[in-house]
Amino acid sequence: MPSGIFKKKSSSTLPADASSYLLALSQADARTRNKVSSSATSTISTPALSLSSSLTASTKDTFLTQADKDDIENIHGLSLPAKPPTSDQIYRAVHTEFGHCSTEEFRRFSSHLPNTPVPKHVDRDPPYYVLLSTYISYLILIVLGHVRDFLGKRFYPKSYADLMPSNGYAPLTSDFDSFYTRRLKLRMNECFNQPVTGVAGRTIQILDRYSPDYNHTQISLGTISRALNISSYNYLGFAQAQGGVADAVEVGMKLYGVTTCGSRLTGGSSDLHTATETLVAKFLGTEDSLITSMGFATNSTIIPALVSKGCLVISDELNHASIRFGVRQSGAHVKMFKHNDTNALEALLRETISQGQPKTHRPWKKILVIVEGLFSMEGTMVDLPRVLELKKKYKFNLFVDEAHSIGGIGKHGRGIADYFNIDPEEIDVLMGTFSKSFGAAGGYIGGKKCLIDRLRIRSYSGVYAEAMSPPVMVQIIASMASIMGVQESELNHSVSSGGSTLRLASPDSAYYGPITQRFLPTWLPLPYELSSGLEGRERLRRLSFNCYYLHRGLDKLGFIVYGHPCSPVVPLLIYQPGKMIMFHRMMKDRKTPIVTVPVAYPATPLITSRIRLCVSAAHTKEDIDEILRACNEVGDVLDLKHGISKKERWTLDEVCGRAVELVNLPDHDWGN
Amino acid sequence: MASASSTFDTAVLTFAHALSTVERTFYKLPGSAIIERYVRSSHQNDPGRTFLELIIFFLVVRTVLQSRTRADRSNPKNFIEFTEKEIDELVADWVPEPLSQPLNDVEMAELAAVPVVAGPNGPHPVLVNTGKPAINLASFNFTGLAGNEHIKQRALETMRKRGVGSCGPTGFYGTFDVHLQFERDVSEFLGTEGAILYSQGFSTISSVIPAFCKRGDIIVADRAVTLSIQKGMEISRSTIRWYDHNDLHSLEEVLQSVEKERRKRKGPLTRRFIITEGIFERDGTMTDLPRLIELKQKYKYRLILDESFSFGAVGRTGRGLTELYNVQASKIDMLVGSAAIGLCAGGGFCAGSNTVVEHQRINGSAYVFSASMPPLLSVSASEGINILRDNPPLLTKLHDNIRAARVLLDQVDCISVPSHRASPIIHLYLRNTSPDSLLQPPSSIPSGKPSNPASPIPRDAPVFDIEKEERLLQEVVEEAMALGVMITKAKRVRGLEITEARPSIRLAMSSALSKADTEKAVNVVIKILKRKFR
Ligand SMILES: Cc1ncc(COP(=O)(O)O)c(C=O)c1O
Repeated sequence: MPSGIFKKKSSSTLPADASSYLLALSQADARTRNKVSSSATSTISTPALSLSSSLTASTKDTFLTQADKDDIENIHGLSLPAKPPTSDQIYRAVHTEFGHCSTEEFRRFSSHLPNTPVPKHVDRDPPYYVLLSTYISYLILIVLGHVRDFLGKRFYPKSYADLMPSNGYAPLTSDFDSFYTRRLKLRMNECFNQPVTGVAGRTIQILDRYSPDYNHTQISLGTISRALNISSYNYLGFAQAQGGVADAVEVGMKLYGVTTCGSRLTGGSSDLHTATETLVAKFLGTEDSLITSMGFATNSTIIPALVSKGCLVISDELNHASIRFGVRQSGAHVKMFKHNDTNALEALLRETISQGQPKTHRPWKKILVIVEGLFSMEGTMVDLPRVLELKKKYKFNLFVDEAHSIGGIGKHGRGIADYFNIDPEEIDVLMGTFSKSFGAAGGYIGGKKCLIDRLRIRSYSGVYAEAMSPPVMVQIIASMASIMGVQESELNHSVSSGGSTLRLASPDSAYYGPITQRFLPTWLPLPYELSSGLEGRERLRRLSFNCYYLHRGLDKLGFIVYGHPCSPVVPLLIYQPGKMIMFHRMMKDRKTPIVTVPVAYPATPLITSRIRLCVSAAHTKEDIDEILRACNEVGDVLDLKHGISKKERWTLDEVCGRAVELVNLPDHDWGN
Repeated sequence: MASASSTFDTAVLTFAHALSTVERTFYKLPGSAIIERYVRSSHQNDPGRTFLELIIFFLVVRTVLQSRTRADRSNPKNFIEFTEKEIDELVADWVPEPLSQPLNDVEMAELAAVPVVAGPNGPHPVLVNTGKPAINLASFNFTGLAGNEHIKQRALETMRKRGVGSCGPTGFYGTFDVHLQFERDVSEFLGTEGAILYSQGFSTISSVIPAFCKRGDIIVADRAVTLSIQKGMEISRSTIRWYDHNDLHSLEEVLQSVEKERRKRKGPLTRRFIITEGIFERDGTMTDLPRLIELKQKYKYRLILDESFSFGAVGRTGRGLTELYNVQASKIDMLVGSAAIGLCAGGGFCAGSNTVVEHQRINGSAYVFSASMPPLLSVSASEGINILRDNPPLLTKLHDNIRAARVLLDQVDCISVPSHRASPIIHLYLRNTSPDSLLQPPSSIPSGKPSNPASPIPRDAPVFDIEKEERLLQEVVEEAMALGVMITKAKRVRGLEITEARPSIRLAMSSALSKADTEKAVNVVIKILKRKFR
């Protein structure tokens, strides 16, 4: 059903090619501009932004906005499930936050099959003309940019004032340093920093805006539209304003307020912190854990407490900025190895251990290898078994950043160690964040008690940074407990759901069982769906299904996607910079708008610009169908299908129809 | 015909010879094999690509040559060749240090004595450590916003509309309407063009500094800046010059010497920054802002001012130093404050001109690469500002409590109080372990010679016995807690800071306490001090 993919503002049929689409876009822009200038006085301060202001909030609640009307009329097809629920299906979640889906088939677990090789990531190369036109695009952009700079500085010195020395002050940014921002990023600013409201769940509400001056400023239109959200790190779908977890947060917030007033060591600790840390340690399967109020700061303030001068950090070349920030503060020597290449890691280990410290050749005090469980831009997975083998042989310490893998992968949702069924204590430092799978904020470190205690007093966070806020902690406790399941003493759990019998504590794991009531604060209300672990389990299984489905569906449609199929991060390769904006816009301008995240240089190599899709358990199969349909159509218009050969491709209907089969193909049979 | 062909032959021969010479020299160059392999494989795929890559290559070379942040290459001469077997032996012989040292008894005891509050924190929290309520002189709750019912209500409403986490970095659907609202609220409150919200107070300035200061730039900083500033400067790789703690004469001397140096070297105009704090985290002293602004304007420096401990505490409505001294906030180029400390919510902000703010939206690492703050905390912070703006009596009460505490503390002989009289944090130094003269400001030290601006250590560094003072102060803290007064030492990460701060007890004042309670609690502390150090 390709008809009407563009919203009212453009033609209802699919434009034959990109140029006609461009024309339609510019017409739409012109229309928007007229609309704004004709009602300039009233639109600038319309409801959208003042919604949040404290003075007007209560009165605004009773006022039906256009966005509410859209929701009621289901203009975008996002407020109601495709199939109305039957009488025996009771959904507690709001469909726009967490999609309703009860089909037992659309579930799976992600876990590594024992005794199978870890699948190597195969990079597919696009045809040369794609590479060529990408290079040419950048060349044109760079040359044009330099020409404009050259001419602009001479003829319009005013607009370059910020880049020139003035009045004895050197410019705040040199024109060279800001070249990329001014000449490349500015062109696609409409894709970034989009203000939103509501819950970053299955759908999100965006505050519509437009730019009258080529992206130099963005003006709010005062309207809100709802879009399907395939961009937030809401892997397990815990970003919810309604439901059991939110209810728990409400109770916690009423009790504890929003702050504990200070750093952990100087008067900002509360019993809730202790409880959260105990629970997180239990969740991870480590002896102890500590939490901090920001994920970025977990890396940047704790790595310096682990290594110092005379130590070596060996870091994957694609590690997150926070890790680099922390390593740079630590004063340790850094070496990088090729992304996810364990052979390169071994070679580097042999070289560095044998050479010792530069100049003096003294042996290193410690070597800390830092990798990520799932890489945030690639979706690739670290080959943990092999890294642990190397660890035994080369005696280094291992730090794994599980920001994207914790909660998302493994049979019990415990991340990379769970996925490979490896004792989590084999990893010296387990780091992760709560801002992704758990819909909260902040980060944690898990490890041996003596390590954690040392970090408590030696990391900058514990001493100086504000402690985690109580509502955030309750969100973490409630969401984690719902994944783990709470054993009520007398209950011997064997609950049936949807025809299949699920055992609460799966006996195949020595590390992860349900928790007892003692791990939860006594005031914390958890409804049965959460405390039984049923809902948590559903989330894990839905996420895994969705990841495999989107990943393999896109692949079968002919796109180039990177990463492991169980990764909720699905990078869809675009290459040419111009197409990224087009892709973003075309997805957003559909009848069912979809918001996407384009990432380009410097976050990725120059050539491999991509759209990063983030799958969530909150999506239903129909949502993924819709995303595949959209990608398929836009991909045809923009010529993005450079993956498997035409013969091997499936049609959209085949992909949607055979989804279950696609998802259940074993990993090692895939792609070769 | 024949001659023509023979000339042609010689030409070809000469050419071939020249080519092979070039080739030989090329292969002698280190790393040539890699280039060769690369060119070969890419050329095989597509000759056109080689040409394009050449162009890109030259662009890259140009970029690298221009870039000031290029990393130093390690010295290949220093490389020792080993056989595989030797490497295996070296690997087998290598014994790494353990990743962390277990805590010793003192550290363990101190960690166990960290106050933990049961239930909500506030002026009279119940301590897990003692099981009893205590008067709180440790937590930051300057204007008593913690536990405010209106803020809670608004935070709750926000949670019911926007959930808890933002689930995305600011660039990618993590910018909520309420974040923008807070940014507007702060900039209006302070009177700057704009502001930017970071999701943790501590990380704010460590990220603001490297966003602006790059290699080759000059930073002039106070010798006693807090750790987050030190770390930010370290990451920036700028040239750092230090002036004596809170001594603006020393600052001017350093500014002059930097200017002299530049003239001598005839270097290009570089960015120059003065970085200091409004109220110093380390000892509660306060910067003379008007004089500082004068100096910065005279010498054409940009000012990065950390107001974490003055925003929300100083001035008639808590706008900070700018309000106290009646200075326009727009005169401070980057004004950094904490919404976690001053507003009892979370996060930090940097206020300044639009250029300054927008620059950070792309270059502030902690802003770009981190999930945005939970919307409910942002709303709490906005409400905090509204309350401060509308309730000057809150601050009057705070200032009364500070004064009351200072009156009592100033009469005690065995301690010295370095903090400014308006500072909401009051540091207490022990007097008896080191001679008095060393506590005077460095400018009045008789030796008279200025310190070396390149070194963070002042010429006549005060001497104190860190271990002993820490131990004695910890005893005071624990005794006070046993008597129902919650206080804390100013904790440090010893060994990781550029200079060591003098051990101190840090009292935090709050308008949520009555004057009588404040006096009572301070008197308990004084009594312990007097008993122990008489
Ligand atoms: C690998 C990695 N580590 C750390 C972080 C920082 O976490 P947070 O966003 O919670 O600050 C991120 C987030 O983007 C990440 O991808």
